[in-house]
Amino acid sequence: MSRDLKLFVVDTGPLISLAVAESLDYLLLVDADVVIPDAVLHEATRDAARLGAQDIIDWVKAHRTRIEIAATKAYEQFDLARLAAPQLHEPDLGERAAVEVIEEPDRLGGNERGLLLCEETAVLRRVVVRDRTRIVEISTLDFLRILESEQRIQSAEQVFVLAASAGRLISRVEKLRAQDDETRDAIRGLVRRRSGGDA
Amino acid sequence: MLSDQDRESLRAYSRCDMTAIDLRRRLGGVTYGDVLRLLSEEALPLPHAPTAGREEQIARAHAWMFPKRVA
Repeated sequence: MSRDLKLFVVDTGPLISLAVAESLDYLLLVDADVVIPDAVLHEATRDAARLGAQDIIDWVKAHRTRIEIAATKAYEQFDLARLAAPQLHEPDLGERAAVEVIEEPDRLGGNERGLLLCEETAVLRRVVVRDRTRIVEISTLDFLRILESEQRIQSAEQVFVLAASAGRLISRVEKLRAQDDETRDAIRGLVRRRSGGDA
Repeated sequence: MLSDQDRESLRAYSRCDMTAIDLRRRLGGVTYGDVLRLLSEEALPLPHAPTAGREEQIARAHAWMFPKRVA
């Protein structure tokens, strides 16, 4: 992971939309390192019956040299709390973890710049972007339209059409049921602690 | 089973009048995957965030993503 451009996936929307449209690889069409906060990955995959969950886990595993699952205190504390309360659910966990990652003082060094990819901009209201010359937030559709204008993909709209038709993909949903424990373990194996390398 | 209020919230989200986070909370903490499924069931499109007012940051993102192709 040494590219100057970092693509931070700061909420679950981009991951799930792209997974449902079988287009996660679009995130790799840019010469950038992809950074996903651990809690965002957890929220995207916490119930493997959810759309795209297993595809996301498989995709992260297959591209470990390009993708960093960033460890956060928010997720670490949540994971510990789940030992006592396995059904614990914190609706804003992913958002808090994303804010934590983005605000790490040494997250961007030298000439590095960051793109914050989110489904919409609500999460960014809680982010203090210290250097707007180095960090820009865009939506999934903005990202796809840029790829389309560069002729890297055929149609940005088609991805959204596929994602919006997700409810009809019953066979894929059924295939993924009852794998929660597997995805939880998978996330643990994928998290990268910044101070100590891969967990 | 969605209530009329839930359906109106989905329509508001689809029109970009409500954020995904607000929608998920109003629907009882559902996941984004659930939102996609419910949109599909209601035959509603995904919201398209307006680009007006964000042209400069999108252009900057474009230049960072493909620096050799953008002046």
